[in-house]
Amino acid sequence: MSHRPSALLTLTILVALVLPAAPARAQGGDVRIDVKSGAIARLPLRCEPLQGPPSGPAPVRAADEVLALDLQSSAVFQANRMWAPDPAATEPQFVTSGKWTVTGDKVRLDGELRDFPARRPILVRAYDGPVADWRRLLHRFSDDIVQQITGERGVADTRIAFVVCGGRDKELWLMDADGHGARALTADKSIAQSPSWSPEGSLLLFTSWRGGTGPQVWVMSPENRKPYLVSGRAGLNTSACYSPDGQRVACTLSMDGNAEVYSLDARGGSLQRLTNHRAIDTSPAWSPTGREIAFTSDRSGTPQLYVMDSDGGSVRRLTYDVDYTDSPSWSPKGDRLAFVTRVGGGFDLWTCRADGTGAAPVVTGGNNENPRWSADGRHLVFASNRDGGYGLWVTDLDGALPRKLSTGGRCAVSPAWSPRRASGR
Amino acid sequence: MKRFSRMLMFVLAATLAFSIAGCAKKPAKSAEVPPAPTPTTETTPTPTPPPEPAPAPEPAKPAVTAADLQIVYFAYDSFSLDDQARAALDNNAKLMRENPSLAVSVDGHCDERGTVEYNQALGQKRAETVQQYLTELGLGGERFRVISYGKERPASEGHDEAAWARNRRVEFTPR
Repeated sequence: MSHRPSALLTLTILVALVLPAAPARAQGGDVRIDVKSGAIARLPLRCEPLQGPPSGPAPVRAADEVLALDLQSSAVFQANRMWAPDPAATEPQFVTSGKWTVTGDKVRLDGELRDFPARRPILVRAYDGPVADWRRLLHRFSDDIVQQITGERGVADTRIAFVVCGGRDKELWLMDADGHGARALTADKSIAQSPSWSPEGSLLLFTSWRGGTGPQVWVMSPENRKPYLVSGRAGLNTSACYSPDGQRVACTLSMDGNAEVYSLDARGGSLQRLTNHRAIDTSPAWSPTGREIAFTSDRSGTPQLYVMDSDGGSVRRLTYDVDYTDSPSWSPKGDRLAFVTRVGGGFDLWTCRADGTGAAPVVTGGNNENPRWSADGRHLVFASNRDGGYGLWVTDLDGALPRKLSTGGRCAVSPAWSPRRASGR
Repeated sequence: MKRFSRMLMFVLAATLAFSIAGCAKKPAKSAEVPPAPTPTTETTPTPTPPPEPAPAPEPAKPAVTAADLQIVYFAYDSFSLDDQARAALDNNAKLMRENPSLAVSVDGHCDERGTVEYNQALGQKRAETVQQYLTELGLGGERFRVISYGKERPASEGHDEAAWARNRRVEFTPR
């Protein structure tokens, strides 16, 4: 045992040296146009009406709008159903088309992406599923189109968990990324907060007062909606998130007399304390590599962002020259962090590089809170009262104005964008 | 309705207080009001030191409930107790001594300015500071349960300084 630590240390250093150099490229896909380099411009695309059986089901008619919204929301395309492409334009232009075939309770979408004006096929693919899931076929088609053009899959076929507010109680809700199908996951008549997805998207960690003894960390599958207690230790149990491998949970506990960041195993055991400071330490966010954890601490006098190794070592401060700062969220590629910082009377949404440099505002005005990245790193969903009441908004990070997600008129906060679903099924 | 329920609480609490005083050494028989209680605290069988002149049996005072305890307010992003807060807690400690059976939840709250997660930690700090102050005044820690509500349960729904000031608080609820 006496010789092993040094060998292990050497190995760790080697891995640490090698890993950052590993390419973070998305696999697969015949990359035709790299829209991620150079100026950010959305590619003009027209969605032609999808053809359906003459007496097809009602959903088919709404489908044109669903697909156009998916492609527009991808932030890759300037999608339009009515727009007439300009044949003289030099920039790439695309058209989508498709055909529905309903057989009993099954439906097939034959989708096509072609360039314009030549109309050469770029992507031709069939999607099958139950008629009831027709929207998901369109989301998958949209995500395939984005992958074909950018090399990285889109996020139309993902979901957003959030908290519905407005009354004395707060419940956990779930909806599709386009705002469709919002439904409650809890009916506790208590407070639910801070949902966070497991890496494969099958579980949601959240904070809840449902136990009656204060905030506790719970976990549930959105499918069966049965909550299990992860941590109900004395005092605070909150702000939980999974490690990228899903084996650990970082969270804030106050069992030792002060709010500190801890790491637990996924069932809430094998407690490991990571921070040790009399200030408030909270809001842990695991880096995508699993090697580091960002968190918030007011050890300097105001809440600021810090980063530590995932075992609690080498704490370094990330943000300077900003007021009250919290809610760190690491981009999926690990190159940037999103956070909120107080400016004037409200909170603005900022991003910075992983080393803290390049900090700059992304969304300003009103209170903008709890930013979370989409799986492709192209978007941030956040809560904001920028138009009055609290609702969910998305910024596409390309300078476009934030867009509001429909939550059916419900007061909504604390969004969490799901990872991609396995195999798109 | 609210008055009625308060009255009911009072009656129940008084009943309870009497029955506890009356049945201190006896196994509880029933919840009926014992006749003419002699509110001596303990029947101490110590003959030599002459018992001090027993305090005149006070007229039945309403038992102290969590609702009688004063709310404590805080400055923005602060969990320290100012003079006013300490005075309120001194008074609360006195009331809790008068009703030794009273156990309360010490609930820490914050105003809406600030983030969900940081405010939860701040609310915890506020509640723990209050609990610590009360235990330093000699009250048993087992009489308190500390809960932070962060900014989730405002007392006032307003969005101005007056509302924020009312929301930065520690209040006492029955448990």
